[in-house]
Amino acid sequence: MSVIVTGDVIALVGACLVEDAEPLLVALQADPTRSVDVAEATRLHLAVVQLLLAARPTLTGVPADPVLRDLVLPLMRHVNR
Amino acid sequence: MDELLTQFLIEGRELVAEAEAELGRLSANPRNATALDALFRAVHTLKGSVGLFAMKPAEALLHRAEDQLGAARRNGAPLGRERIETLLACVDAIDRWIDELEQAGETGADAAIIAERLIARLDGGQPESGSGNAPASGLPDWVGPLSARADALLAAADQNLVAFRYSPDPDCFFRGDDPLALALAVPDLVDLAILPVDDFAAIGDWDPFRCQVLLEGLSSAPLDAVRAAFRLVPDQVAFAEIAPQRAETDNAPGGDASRIVRVDGARLDSLADDVSELVVATNGLAHAVRRAEQTDPALAQILRTLQGDIDRITGRLHRGVSAIRRVPLAAPLRRLPRLVREIARGLDKPVRFTMRGEGTEVDKMIADALFEPLLHILRNALDHGIETAPERQAAGKPAEGSLQLQIGRQSDEVVISVSDDGAGIDPARLRAVAVARDVIDAEAAAALSDAQALRLILAPGFSTAAKVTDLSGRGVGMDAVARAIERLRGRLLIESRVGEGSRFEIRLPLDSITTRLLIVEAGGERYGIPLDQIVETTRVEAETILPVGGGRACVLRDRTVPIIDLADLLGGEAPQDRIARLVITQSGGESVAIRVDAFDAQIDVLVREPRGLLDALPGVAGTALLGDGAVLLVLDLPELAA
Repeated sequence: MSVIVTGDVIALVGACLVEDAEPLLVALQADPTRSVDVAEATRLHLAVVQLLLAARPTLTGVPADPVLRDLVLPLMRHVNR
Repeated sequence: MDELLTQFLIEGRELVAEAEAELGRLSANPRNATALDALFRAVHTLKGSVGLFAMKPAEALLHRAEDQLGAARRNGAPLGRERIETLLACVDAIDRWIDELEQAGETGADAAIIAERLIARLDGGQPESGSGNAPASGLPDWVGPLSARADALLAAADQNLVAFRYSPDPDCFFRGDDPLALALAVPDLVDLAILPVDDFAAIGDWDPFRCQVLLEGLSSAPLDAVRAAFRLVPDQVAFAEIAPQRAETDNAPGGDASRIVRVDGARLDSLADDVSELVVATNGLAHAVRRAEQTDPALAQILRTLQGDIDRITGRLHRGVSAIRRVPLAAPLRRLPRLVREIARGLDKPVRFTMRGEGTEVDKMIADALFEPLLHILRNALDHGIETAPERQAAGKPAEGSLQLQIGRQSDEVVISVSDDGAGIDPARLRAVAVARDVIDAEAAAALSDAQALRLILAPGFSTAAKVTDLSGRGVGMDAVARAIERLRGRLLIESRVGEGSRFEIRLPLDSITTRLLIVEAGGERYGIPLDQIVETTRVEAETILPVGGGRACVLRDRTVPIIDLADLLGGEAPQDRIARLVITQSGGESVAIRVDAFDAQIDVLVREPRGLLDALPGVAGTALLGDGAVLLVLDLPELAA
């Protein structure tokens, strides 16, 4: 279980694989104003990343994993601008 | 020392100096975009170089500085005063770490803490609005620097980069592929972007199992290594090699970088020595022409024409090598601003230091030897000259002291002056102290003019500081400065007005390979006297020379000048001519006349340091080889007259 919805916040926890894209999509479709907390994420599959790129929710939290923090998350900004 | 390190010590310091200069320009005009660009490039290049050595804190610090400069360039917001000060502190820290690296092979133990503090200071002053780094989607601010790094790498990569464009099969998710993980596994990845294949579909129609993006990236690894990372999906990837964009990065001050060759100083020295020997050998031709004139005028004519040609070419060669040996003083003096700031801070005296004319070029040997004496004079000015802020305010001066270093060229001399607006030097007090310390007796002290009294500070062991501070009181006094300047055949002038400030002026010859000598005769021998030690030559009636005290003197332009007989001094027979030929020199700020039997020609020669027995003789500057093979003793007049 990697996608945890608590009220306005969707938390991505641990390794988010291809199958997590669907619950994330459902959560975002239900309330597009929800923010996504990536603090506990350790890995994001491209299926998840491309959804975040398209849906452009507010991202919060700083993941501990250096690859995620330094390489993957900055990528979202390129398109968001 | 390892060649890479040697190179870095030179280039690193040049970059530090460059960054410092650009920061100076920016503090004068924060909107100077050219200066900002140049500063960015210097910091960027420096960051690349420090990475090769044990300088982790420097790398981290420069990285952050570069990010912020990159952001400032993009959004066009001028750097604030505080930000410029912080950047200057960063550059100072890097400079000190380079010193530490040279001395100890690594940065000091406190480097990490200093870097951390400076980074915190850099971050603290982040402009709140208009920053290009402010993430549009509300991402935390740690993402900003990464994009700046990518831009910088793209703009200024030194090596070829491999670009790849990976368009994953839309159904690849079903096969369990993760194209992102694949791309992240590319070796030496420096930039990555995820782009929609077509415009993103609305979230309502989103198909989570279709790959709808492509990945573009840059790697600094070789093409083959990048290709290997994509070996399972070769048909979905395109590659391109990108050459470094030199034009964008290198067309600033160092635009001609590719045409500049670094040469080991020792090889240049040996070339200069050879050229000097050639000049001497050419002098020998003149001698041969004179001999030939007596026996074979026709041959002499041919020889003279040849001599003219060779003279001209040798002269050109000599000037060329002299010019190569000339280096801007900026490099050896680049540490001065930082050291002045540190000393002023240590003394708790606010001081504005300005350096002008550091682009002036002088012979390498002179440039190398100038740093220590100049630092000492500056240190003295800060320690003894400039008053504390309360003292200055009480005297009606601005709280901030002013210290100026001005370098310029006047004909074939370099003139370097250090002036301050401090308390000045009180000649009366110098006399009193000199007497109290037995440097001279009271009578002699009273007889000194004020200008001569000022030179008392150059006397060995003389220190007028009420208390010996750890700065100026290191046992290296102004006497060492005076000696260093004399060794360079320079002169030191001191001017001071009590309450208004002091000015120290150093005058040095521009070139130092060959020395122009005047050949004189005394006691039947020939001697050489460096022309730059001669104030003038003159002839006076022998009978106007009068005995004064234990010696003799004559009156020149209403001033009494003591006379020393060179033949007498060197153990020869004193001249009996009715006309006395005098060479006037300056010794310890006073005119002294040296009587010789005859003036001969002027020649350009290489003066060799005195060796062996000669070294022990006072007043001998060295020896020179003449064209006819004779060895000429070159005199050091000020030392002889002292």
